[in-house]
Parts: sequence; structure tokens; C-alpha cells
Amino acid sequence: MTAYAKFVDVTICTGCRGCMVACKNWNDLPIDTQAYNGTYQSHDKCDGKTWNVLQMKEFETASGGFEWLFRHQACFHCTDAACEKVCPENAITTTDMGNVVIDQEKCVGCSYCVYNCPFEIVALADYVNEDGKIVQRAQKCDMCDSRIHEGLVPACSQTCPLDAIVFGTKEEMRKLAEERLAIAKEKFPNAMIYDPPGVDGTNMFYLLPEGPEAFDLPVNPKVPTSAVIWKDYAQPLGKMALGGTVMAVATAFITNKLFNKGHGHDEEGGDIDESTKE
Amino acid sequence: MTNHWIDIQYSDAMLVIGGNPAENHPVSMKYVQKARDRGGKLISVDPRFTRTSSKADIYAPMRSGTDIPFISGLIKYAIDNELYHKEYVVNYTNASFIVHDDYKFKDGIFSGYNEDTRNYDRSTWTFKRDEDGNILKDETLKDPRCVWNVMKEHYERYDVDTVCAVTGTPKEDFIKVADAFCSTGTPEKVGTIMYAMGTTQHTVGSQNVRAYGMLQLLLGNVGRAGGGVNAMRGEANVQGSTDMALLFHIMPGYNPAPTQSERHKSLAAYNENETPASGYWSNRPKFMASFFKAHFGDNATPENDFLYDYFPKSRRNNSHIALFEAMYDGDIKGFITWGQNPIVGGPNVRKEKAAMEKLDWFVCMDLFETETATFWTKESGADPSKINTEVFFLPAAGPYEKEGSVSNSGRWMQYRWKAIEPKNDSRSDAWFVHNLARRLKALYASENGPIAAPFKALDWSFGDGDYPDVDLVCREINGYDLTTGKTILNFTQLKDDGTTSSGNWIYSGFYPDAAPGEEKNRSKNRDNVDTGMNNYLNWSYAWPLNRRILYNRASADLEGKPWNSNNEVIWWDNAAGSWVGHDVPDFGAATGPTDPGWKNPFIMRPDGKGELFTNGMTDGPFPEHYEPYESPVPNAFSSVQLNPAARIWTGDYNDKGDAKDFPIIGTTYRLSEHWQTGPMTRNNKWLAELMPYMFVELSEELAAEKGIKEKDKVIVSSARGEIEAYAMITKRFRPYEIQGQKVHHLGMPWHYGYQGIAKGSIANYLTPHIGDANTMIPEYKAFLCNVRRAEG
Repeated sequence: MTAYAKFVDVTICTGCRGCMVACKNWNDLPIDTQAYNGTYQSHDKCDGKTWNVLQMKEFETASGGFEWLFRHQACFHCTDAACEKVCPENAITTTDMGNVVIDQEKCVGCSYCVYNCPFEIVALADYVNEDGKIVQRAQKCDMCDSRIHEGLVPACSQTCPLDAIVFGTKEEMRKLAEERLAIAKEKFPNAMIYDPPGVDGTNMFYLLPEGPEAFDLPVNPKVPTSAVIWKDYAQPLGKMALGGTVMAVATAFITNKLFNKGHGHDEEGGDIDESTKE
Repeated sequence: MTNHWIDIQYSDAMLVIGGNPAENHPVSMKYVQKARDRGGKLISVDPRFTRTSSKADIYAPMRSGTDIPFISGLIKYAIDNELYHKEYVVNYTNASFIVHDDYKFKDGIFSGYNEDTRNYDRSTWTFKRDEDGNILKDETLKDPRCVWNVMKEHYERYDVDTVCAVTGTPKEDFIKVADAFCSTGTPEKVGTIMYAMGTTQHTVGSQNVRAYGMLQLLLGNVGRAGGGVNAMRGEANVQGSTDMALLFHIMPGYNPAPTQSERHKSLAAYNENETPASGYWSNRPKFMASFFKAHFGDNATPENDFLYDYFPKSRRNNSHIALFEAMYDGDIKGFITWGQNPIVGGPNVRKEKAAMEKLDWFVCMDLFETETATFWTKESGADPSKINTEVFFLPAAGPYEKEGSVSNSGRWMQYRWKAIEPKNDSRSDAWFVHNLARRLKALYASENGPIAAPFKALDWSFGDGDYPDVDLVCREINGYDLTTGKTILNFTQLKDDGTTSSGNWIYSGFYPDAAPGEEKNRSKNRDNVDTGMNNYLNWSYAWPLNRRILYNRASADLEGKPWNSNNEVIWWDNAAGSWVGHDVPDFGAATGPTDPGWKNPFIMRPDGKGELFTNGMTDGPFPEHYEPYESPVPNAFSSVQLNPAARIWTGDYNDKGDAKDFPIIGTTYRLSEHWQTGPMTRNNKWLAELMPYMFVELSEELAAEKGIKEKDKVIVSSARGEIEAYAMITKRFRPYEIQGQKVHHLGMPWHYGYQGIAKGSIANYLTPHIGDANTMIPEYKAFLCNVRRAEG
């Protein structure tokens, strides 16, 4: 398998949000207009209806400068994907190109993936099933699986006028990122590549102009230990012993008790990993 | 644009002023970024911190309406620090010309001013000549009356401290901009200026642009790759529609529109008064005769002055503001809007709406039912029972439902094919104009008299179909050799004897030498192989004569060699005896070193030189600072507050705001997510979702002073009206310190209206009816206002 990746150069993104429109267009996503929030940003974060959200961050730098930075947020397609690990129905899989996809027909809407995503990307949203019924299913960016497996690039990348979103093999994209980093350093001395090793790298990764904290990103995200134990040990044994339904109830309980939720992803992490600092 | 979008990548310094390409021309930032990757610096000068500023290497805030002080400060900085390109200035500009003895400038007023008419007599804005009529020159630039020294004296007042006190720019930021941009005044480097409506929508809008041109001439940046003065057009075909005479004062190809004046009383008078003795415009009579041959066909003959008398002669200023004032005064009874939405986009909407309510009839052609289409409804705030206007709405076809060409900012005429059929009853623009012309001709066919005559004489040979034959329209624009019936090679072949035709001389050449049935439409060219320096000469067609960089003779030095071997455009090939290179020479291809005019790159000017001093403007030979119509501060450079040649409109609804009641500077702008007055974007749910609400941006300091909190609804008021919007409190707006006084500003998008999915208040209820002295473009960008929390 050759891993493919979407490289996002946050240092050159101009915030036009063409990527957001292209995404809704290609994936036929619903409109989800939010209440006025006092900024240019349209949605707080990604969810099941809006798979990519442009984060627009204003902040003052340590040296008294002012920056307005734009970050394309979407699924990171972690190499070691927590969502895939915790899915009791094996609805979430990594394809031969490295993108993580959710089979809507297999998904039962249990939300384990929602609770365990280190980046708070995946969320439940309406899905019309085979019986024509509206059910809640986990949804997120699939890196335009239907495009990339036909030799096209993801819709966001296709539309980006700056080539700030580029798609290719992970190896090529890492090389490009290193080249871009050298140029970016001149304007942004704190620039860094964000491809966190705690999840074994991601197939959507960034060149950030400032450290991850500036973008509310976990400094060193990891697959939750509990998720590893659960998926790799407890779940297979439990399913064998108790059967699916009972196990699902138990799972919900355990999930709520044990797994990371909402905030505090970086509790398990540490300082910025030196290897990603470049 | 003198240059084109892709060419931006060759720039060492990109000064973006009065423009915001990241938000309004997003694709252009690709080429800005390419330049930055090569080490080029992006400089953003803007009243507020924009998405373009976020990408800039240097950002300098500048109070809206102070471009001339800012640029004049750079001009003086370049002169004082000898950063200008001396060889270029001496040889390619009129710096050495000796100015007329009677030319004067005193306390904000140039010689020739008539206070009663608010007009200038420009006869002293000229040069001293010898007995043979030759202009006197001093190429050592020592003569105190040469343009160079008169200019130096004019800008003596624009020192850095005074400039920064007026613009509100922190001095260190101004110096950073000056050093970065003026560093391009060498043969090795080149800089571009990119601007848009932030520059032009002022009472000194045209002079703002001229100031950019002067700075670029001083730095030797015009004619070169990565250089020039570049207007970023805000609409896919603004360039094309302007070329085709969208504006009231020009005919196709930038010939002045005839007026009801002695100067234009006959074709002979027109030609005599509008044709210079030298320069390329000396060919104007050929362009005019060929235009009338296209317009009236066989009916136009040399004997009947090509039916010049049948062509409309305007009796008034027909600019946007003037039309609505005339409509309000009852002088205009019928009105057609065609892809235009003045109830959102026009200034002083209260007045323009009141004007429309007086119409007998109104026709709106648009993709959507716009605010203008519904100006009479309750939603618009009107009382329909009191409006007697008969309103017609004609559904128009969208861009993908019609065939034709658009011309982009870089003057590239690109053909577009129809992708899908128009929906339901909607029709293309070409259909509308074709049917309007044919039905009018039919209506007048059996009538005689002066009104019927021009309709009967009009030649409308675009086929017998319900839709016109667009290929025939293309051929007519290019023009014909009427002796052979083939399309003419290009405009150099046009004649004034009635044997040639051309609907628009500047486009003549895009459809060359084609016999009937033979297709040679060069705007359909789609060869994406780079022909050198990213000019892509075989992709589309750029007017004039497929030139991509205007005045490109100036890219080469006095020997005809490129100023810099890394930045080659064209050069003189001695062996071949011609100019060759990566672009079509904008110069006599065979004009060699021993020929007269060898050092005259600006072929459209009578003297072939870049005009640091000009008589081409209505309001002065040099740009001079005047405050906006509404300003909170006195003019620091003279006792003249407002551009003395700007026309002032009085009467109903034209109240002027005072700084006592309205102490805050207001400005308006666009967003990436919406487009113009919004019909095409506020009706698109994906775009409406991204920017759903009307808002007003203001600084933390102003919000604190007014007790405004995040997400509050606020009322913004001006002397013309008030609107409600959400408050957006941001560090991207900061108060200015102007002449020792704290001055607040706020800004808002002008996209919103009461129709469509994303709705919001119309910003233009606040803006005044006043325009630029040359073009009459309204001053949308600087007006006085106030802001308060909305009750409840």
C-alpha cells in the first residue's frame, strides 16, 4: 500500500474558503447556517454536516505583531486511527490509499468514534438508510474517496487557488512540506510541520505558521490508551462471550467512563515533539 | 492592467493599495505567492487589516482617502534619497520638458481655476516651445522650470512626518514600505502596484491612480515584466465592457463620446478637436470612420459624414449619480437595468429609490429578482399604492448559458462557449439586444423624421435568427476590408475613407483576414505552452495586437537591451533590424536606434514620453491632496478642503454630514464569499452559509467608548440615513492618530439587501452623492458616520 496524503500549507492560505464550498458541493452536504458569532468564521468546528471548516484566528505575537491565520480543518486520516480502533461494527476502515472511510450502512451511530477522535472531527449526522429512514450516522471527510480512487485529487485541493492544499503520496508531500517550511521560516520563524507521531502520523498534515497551540490543536495527540486496550483486547473477547447487543450496552457505559471526551486530548501528550519541530 | 495576472510572479515588490486581492481576486494570490517564493515582498497598505494584509511581508495602515499623501510621500522619499531610476526618468518621461511660464500652483489651486464653474482652464498645463513648435527641454534636469524641478517643488510639502500625520500611518511602517518599494528604482529590480476600487471610489480617485503611475515612472517600473500599474477588475468582464463603451463618456475603444458642444458639432469639428498631431491617437479619424461604417453600414458614406449626425450627442453628464439626480428631477421617465442592482450598489440609496419611484416605466433584466426589481415592494420600505411605475422583469441567462467573450483585467479576450441551455424563459444578453434592435427598427420602418432616421440607418446584419449570429458580431468588432469582404488584418489597416469598418478598433486583429465562412477567432486560442516569460501568446487574444505588457519598449534600455537579463520582455535585434522577444512589441517593430522616436516608449502620448506632468486630467497636472467630501479633519496641505473640480450635488436627500454629529470615518468593501450586490451569491446557499449576516467591523477602542459588546446589534448612521447590523469587534481595526487627534473608523460589506437567502441592511443608505472630478465614480470609500447600540 502506498499512503497518500493531503498537505495543507497554512502559511500561504488566504482564507478564501473555496475549499469549504467545493467540499459541500462534491459531497452534497447540507446547509447548516450558524448563529452570528462575531467573527468571519462560519462554523466553530467540523461536524457531520460540514466536513471542512476554515478556522480564522486573530492573535498578537510575542513580539507585538498581529496575525490573522487561516487553517483548513478536516479529518486528519491518522495512520493509527482511533476511530477505526474503537468502532464495534468495523464500519471504519483505512483504504489502500491511507484515507479513513466510514461505511454508512455498517455504522450503527454508537458514537465511540466521536468520543475518541483526538481532533474532534467525526460527528453524527442525518443519513437516509436503505429503508428510506433518517438515522444518525458517523460522518466526516473521507478525503474524497470517490475522487482519489479515480485518479482525481480531493475537491478542496482541486479548488484551492494557492495550491495550499496539495494531494500526492505521503512521501512526495513530506518532501514538498520540507521545501515549503524553508520558505515559510522567513515570515514565520515559529513555522513547523504538524504530522503528529502519537497517531503514527496523519495523511492530512500541516505546515503551521505557529505552534499547534495557536490553532487549538493538541500538541502531541495520541490514540487513547483505553481505546487501544478496548479495541485490541477487551472487545474481541467480550463479543465472543456476551454477544453483540449486550456488548453494545456495556460498550456505551465503558466509553462514557473511560474514553477521552471533548476536551483535554493533550493530557496524554507532552510538550511539542522535537522531531516535528524541524 | 498594463501587465497581466500571471506576470505578477516576476515582481520584486508588490504594493497592494486600494485593493484586497486575497478576498476579491483570490486566484491572483497564486501569482503573488510565486513572486514571494522568489523573494518578492508583498506590501499591503489598507485602512484595515485584510486577508491580503495577513499574507503581507509589510502591512501599513492608512486612513481611507489619503492615497495621494501616502504616494506623494513615496515620490518625495524616492527623489530625496535618489532611489529613482535616473536613466529611465530622463529618457522615457517628460521630466526634462520646460513647463509653460504661466503654470502656477498656490495653496491647493492650480493655474486656470474658475471658482464659479468649479472648472480648470488647462491651457497653462503645457510646455514651452521654440518657434518651430518643438518642446524646450533640459536633459540635465537643472532648469528650475523643467518638469522634474516643478514636480520636486510640488512634493516638497509631502515630507514623511506631515504625510504620516495625515494618513495616520505609523512612521516606522511608512519607512518600511518606502524602503521596500523604492528599492525597485534600479535596473535590476522591478515593482508592481495592484489596486482596485479602494483607490478609485474617492473624489480624487483618478488622481490616486495617476499618483501610482507617476511613482512607477520614477522607479522605472512601467513596461517591464513584474511591473506596471495594475487595476484588478472586480467582475469577469469589466475590462471588456469598459472597452466596449459601458461608460458614459467614451465610445468603443476609448474615443470620447460626442457631446452637444461646438467642439463636436460635426465629424470634422470632432476630429479636429479630439485628434492630437502626433502619437497613436493621431489615427483617431480612421477609427471613427470605421466605427460608423460598422454602425450604419452602407448608409454611412464620406459624403454624409458617415452619419455622424445620427449618432447620439449627450447633453448632460450621464454618470451614475447624474442619471439618478435627473430621474429624481423628473427628467428621465424610463429606465432599464441590465445586470445592475443600484438599490444595493448605488450611493445614497434613499435618494436613488425615491428617484425610481417617479419613473413611468422600469425594466429589470437579471438572473434573480433583485432589490432593484422589487424597489416598489413593502419589503423595500416603499408604499406600493403610491407608486405608479410600470415594472417589467426579464429573466436573464447565466454565464454558462450563453456564448461570447469576456476580457479579463490583463486585457485577454477569452471566448466562452455555452455549456447548458438557459432555463425556462430566460434569454442571453445577446438575445435581448438583438431583439430590442430588430423590434425598434421594425417599429420605425414606416416612419419618417429625425427620430426614425437613425433607427432606419442602423445596420443590424447579425443573421435572421431569434438569436444573433455571434460569429458575425465578432467579425464586426474586428472590422472588414470592405473592398474585399474579408475581415481586416488589424487596426493598422483602418482608413478614414469608408473602405474599412471596425466596431472597436482596439480589438481589431482578433479575427484577422478571414473570408466569409472561414473561422479565425483568436479569442478561442487555447495553447497553454509558455511562449516565454509566462506570456502565453497563443492563449486567447490580448488587445492591442496581442500585446501582454503595455509600453514594453520601456523594458529595454537606451541600446534596446533588457534592463536586466533576468527580466527580459523585448529587445532590439540589430541583425534582424527589428524588435524581438517574449511579447509583441508595443512599438514600431522596425524602429531602430537611428530612427526618430527610438526613445519614445509611450506611443499613445503625443510626445512618446511618460507624463510626470500632464494636461489630461480635469483637476490638476499633479495629484494634490484634498480631503474626502466628508472628513473629520482639515486639509493639512492647503486651505482647500475638497477637490476644487469635484461636482457638488445639492437638493433633496443630499445632506452633508458634519464631524460634530458624525465623527467616525466609514468605509465599505467586499468579501470573498459574496459578489457585488449579491444576487449571484446571496441566492447561493453554500455561499450564504459562509457569510450569512450583515455586520459592521469596529475596533475594541471604539466599541468600548460606545458601550458596544461582541455580537450586539448596532445602528450606523450618516447624514443620509441609518442601518442596523451586527457588531464585529476586532483588532483588525485600530483608531488612527491624525494630526494629534484620535480618529475612529469602521467598515462594512456592501453586499447585503432584503432579497435572497442571506439578507441584511443595505450599506449604501449611508454613502453620499458625490463623485470623482474626472470619472464621477462615487465616493463610497470615505464618509462620516456614527454608531450606537441598537435598543432591545
